[in-house]
Amino acid sequence: MSMARKALEMTQAAAEAIVQRAEARFSANRKESLASTDRMFAGLMLAQWAFAIFIALVFSPYGWQGKTKAVHMHVWVALLLGAVISSLPVALAWLRPGETLTRHTIAVGQMLWSALLIHLSGGRIETHFHVFGSLAFLSFYRDWPVLITATVVVATDHLLRGILWPESVYGITNPEWWRFLEHAFWVVFCISVLIPSCMRGVKDMRVMAERGAELEALSENQWRNQSVLERAANDDHSDR
Amino acid sequence: MTAEANGGAFRKGYDSVKVPAPGGGMRSLTRKQFESLPLRERVAYLIDGTAQFFLDGTPIAASDAMRT
Repeated sequence: MSMARKALEMTQAAAEAIVQRAEARFSANRKESLASTDRMFAGLMLAQWAFAIFIALVFSPYGWQGKTKAVHMHVWVALLLGAVISSLPVALAWLRPGETLTRHTIAVGQMLWSALLIHLSGGRIETHFHVFGSLAFLSFYRDWPVLITATVVVATDHLLRGILWPESVYGITNPEWWRFLEHAFWVVFCISVLIPSCMRGVKDMRVMAERGAELEALSENQWRNQSVLERAANDDHSDR
Repeated sequence: MTAEANGGAFRKGYDSVKVPAPGGGMRSLTRKQFESLPLRERVAYLIDGTAQFFLDGTPIAASDAMRT
């Protein structure tokens, strides 16, 4: 085998090893970023649960039925429905962090939390801001399909509740039939900015991993040059 | 202008690269074209030391080029 051929094979092998390490670094960083966002949402789910119970207690205080003191229905809704909404996302964040199913389940859960909080506040328009905050938080995943899942859930919720129980979502009994489209439009407006940002985020992570590979390649080159110089010096010394 | 020439206040890295052409000789690429090459190919050029980096037409060391 010629020296040139051998050198080429050595370069190819070294390049392959460096590229594989870069891929592994990228995958590990991506997985850690996804898992840490899962953990953040697990905490957020529990905080929202506590907040929903507080809202239900403050905005829907105890009602009196004759001489019997009864807890308002909304407190039970907050307690039980909140537990149902939070349980699966929290369990998946704990048991299967970083997986695709986990973040899509969290996206569904987070949008259902928006729906529940909107309901508990009697359809207050200000509570709808929770939807946009949630979309921003979901973009921390830097995985744009998660935003599509969230959008579908929130649009479906507004459509169905707008038809079946409009007061629960808009605070009025007779909204225009197309009101959900107006809300959906602003959600689409929001994600149309967040989606490119998510894509850019992943690209930046890849660039960082590639930059690491390039620096590793430079280091390999310096090591090779050093070896050649040392060998030449040794040969020179032997000749004397 | 290299990092040393401006005291490191603003490091632009490199703006063009010359790499071995498939048919022999060298081909010139912009930074964007170089960064669009497959990582394996870029890494191989760097390991072999066959990529020549330039900033404003002035050759610079690969280690300086890779800083930014």
